[in-house]
Amino acid sequence: MNIQVESLTHIFANSKPQRTALAEINFEVKSGQFVALIGPSGCGKSTLLRLAGDLLQPTRGRIALDGREPAEMRAAHEIAWMAQSPALLPWLDARQNVALAQRFMPTNRHPRLTVDQVLERVGLSDAAGAFPFTLSGGMQQRLALARLLALEASLWLMDEPFAALDEISRERLTTELLDLWQPLHPTVLWVTHNIYEALRLADRILVFSPSPGRIAADLTIDLPRPRSEADPRFQQTLAALRAALGSTVTAQVAQ
Amino acid sequence: MNGSRKSGLVALALVLVFFASWEAAVRFFGVPVYILPSPSRTFVTLATNPEMYLQASALTLGESLAGLLIGVLTGGLLAILLTLLPGLEGGVMTLAILMKSTPLVAIAPLLTIWLGFGVVPKIVITALMTFFPVLVNVLSGLQHVDPALTDLFHSWNASRWEVFRHLRLPTALPFLFAALKISAPLALIGAVVAEWTGASGGLGRTMWLAYTNLNLPYLFAAIFILAAGGMSLFRLLGWLERKVVFWLPDSRES
Amino acid sequence: MRKNFWLLVSFVLVLAACTPTAATPAATEPVSTPLAEPTAVEQSPTTVVTEPSPTPAELLPMTFMAGYKPQANLPFVGVYVAKAKGFFEEEGLDVTVEHSAGQGQHLQLLSAGTIQVTNQDAAVLLQRRADPGLPLVAIALLGQKGQQAYAALKSSGIESPKDWEGHTVGYKGTPPPDLFALISAAGADKDKIKLVNVGFDPRLLTEGKVDVYPVFKSNEPYMIQSWGYDLNLWAAEDFGVPSLGLTYVTSEEILKTQPELLTRFLRGALRGIQYAAEHPDEAIEITLTYTGPETDPAHMRFMLDAELKDAQSDLTAENGWGWQTQEQWQALADMLKTEGLPVEDDISGAFTTQILEAARGK
Repeated sequence: MNIQVESLTHIFANSKPQRTALAEINFEVKSGQFVALIGPSGCGKSTLLRLAGDLLQPTRGRIALDGREPAEMRAAHEIAWMAQSPALLPWLDARQNVALAQRFMPTNRHPRLTVDQVLERVGLSDAAGAFPFTLSGGMQQRLALARLLALEASLWLMDEPFAALDEISRERLTTELLDLWQPLHPTVLWVTHNIYEALRLADRILVFSPSPGRIAADLTIDLPRPRSEADPRFQQTLAALRAALGSTVTAQVAQ
Repeated sequence: MNGSRKSGLVALALVLVFFASWEAAVRFFGVPVYILPSPSRTFVTLATNPEMYLQASALTLGESLAGLLIGVLTGGLLAILLTLLPGLEGGVMTLAILMKSTPLVAIAPLLTIWLGFGVVPKIVITALMTFFPVLVNVLSGLQHVDPALTDLFHSWNASRWEVFRHLRLPTALPFLFAALKISAPLALIGAVVAEWTGASGGLGRTMWLAYTNLNLPYLFAAIFILAAGGMSLFRLLGWLERKVVFWLPDSRES
Repeated sequence: MRKNFWLLVSFVLVLAACTPTAATPAATEPVSTPLAEPTAVEQSPTTVVTEPSPTPAELLPMTFMAGYKPQANLPFVGVYVAKAKGFFEEEGLDVTVEHSAGQGQHLQLLSAGTIQVTNQDAAVLLQRRADPGLPLVAIALLGQKGQQAYAALKSSGIESPKDWEGHTVGYKGTPPPDLFALISAAGADKDKIKLVNVGFDPRLLTEGKVDVYPVFKSNEPYMIQSWGYDLNLWAAEDFGVPSLGLTYVTSEEILKTQPELLTRFLRGALRGIQYAAEHPDEAIEITLTYTGPETDPAHMRFMLDAELKDAQSDLTAENGWGWQTQEQWQALADMLKTEGLPVEDDISGAFTTQILEAARGK
């Protein structure tokens, strides 16, 4: 699914003072691109994600998914959403949680993957009958990933999904995520605060500056995956990213 | 032995110690039976009138449970209604609070005039006493759904009914049990108090008759039954809660 | 999860289904011995019946509500016995007996027409007619003298109401008019007496929390004496203060529209009282079927004897149980007025001998 953002503006009118989360954002994402959205807090990254997912309606401008409204794509079950909290239903076991995602699909969609297949893909076959409260944070997020997979959507909107995990789990899940993404190649918008994570995952990094939210930098990452920090080009890109971020911080402080 | 078994034995021991001290105090101080009967006297009274107490208990229990059931259904359905039509919340809650605050003594005769002399007014009074906690708690549960989950369901394009059935209702279950733990003992008290305003049977009536005859062993025997009944009800609810709301940490046994 | 939900639902349904619907939805049918079931009514040999004996299907239903819990108060006993011995049936009545909790709901239900006859203390009846204006009418005055009295332990040395000065005297509810009348009739200074609101608890007297306790002659003295204490009792009528007891009471509406029903009821109930006077032991046995095992039969017998005694006067010797006159009621009304209580100026509507005469003239 490709994404076109034109003059996208979103103002939270109810907050005091009024907050302009996004101001005249313009960019395009090609189908199958993994895009990371990074920037300091309050710069509108999550808002952008919510606008793309039809959880908010923009104040001005538009966002088009394959030329259509997000609402349409949401109704067609082409959008998969994943947030920082695993958002699993605690009264359902692993298998039932994944099955629930497929339950609301329109009748003309027939999922190719069964629930058990999905669980196997993420390595949770043994835990199929387990309830979320018995699973560790990492396993819960993995289950949330499985649920995401089961939707077979062409757009993944992911809002800092690994932020609450410990370093080791995060490492492991990042690798696993890539393994899951690469065969399917959906378009991904990935919000993060972690620059290493952004560099390891994304084809493209959009750096946002806050108040009002604007795109400060648009970096393309051409490195082949899996990416290693030992690679000098990695370090170069890292430096460039840091610089871009640094300027947004100064810009924020200046305001 | 495991933890719950042990705590059960400790509780039993405490109860026995309590009764033993009571018995000793009554005997030692020569307390007249019409001031405070001894536990032994009370138990003898219970044991020598099994049918009467059984009948009375069954009636009061039946009234309580029927009233509780109606109260829970009313409170629950109202809560569901208010979730679907939030505009009604202000008006309905005001009415509910008014109903809850009206003293029993005032309503009971009215109910007798409308509903007759039998168990029905008692059940209605009990229902009136129990519906409010259920309404408030279940409404809270239905409304306070994790926003991350509502986002998720929205992204799945789930209909309002699907969100209600798969998300709101299960979220409300622990709240329902919290309410039940309040309402169930209230139901028992409600039935007893309703019987005081005029009844042909039941533990409340037995207590009233016993007191006005200053026949305290009979009174205390009824109190023992009520206490035991209330405790059992509570434990039963706890067990049920652990089974139904199994995912919450505090309802899980260690 | 779904399984657990249905577990919950079925559990609750099973429990609620345990409500004994077999529990009598209506009357206080006596618990033990089955009494006379509605059979074809035979002609009573002692009365001349002018109309054909009614078949069970023609029994007129009505409800009598005792103004308190089941016990051997005379108005209750009259009804208990009349029902048990078939007197009501012979009158063509199917009387349902209910009991009130004693908080006044029996008067509300009477005024609303839910019940047809109840009983009430004469002084309270007069006051309720005036305020809030309940349409009550006494159709028989069983208590020719009232049962209210005051008791002190003999060991306290309080010999007369004059000795009440400097002591604590209890009253139930609001200070009753006969209390003040008694105090002034005995020549005591009420300002030197400490008045305390007490509930029903004669232990207050035995445990020394009050010096003088308000009793019903037919009730608490028995209890206190059974605990081993002797009492001094003072009643208003001993000091020339008018006092009347319990009445059978109906509403003005029912009196106007159903005098025949009331006549039959009263006839049956008075027969019941007569029978109880002649066969007190049997009357107590019948009463015990309404109370439970927590009631002491000797206590009930004491109550019946005490009230039977006060139900008899020169008036009743001449006119039969329950007779009442304007003089009796006026004396009571005047006393209430003197004590500043709400009473109608014309109390002739508060009682009637119409039903007594109809019941008699047979």
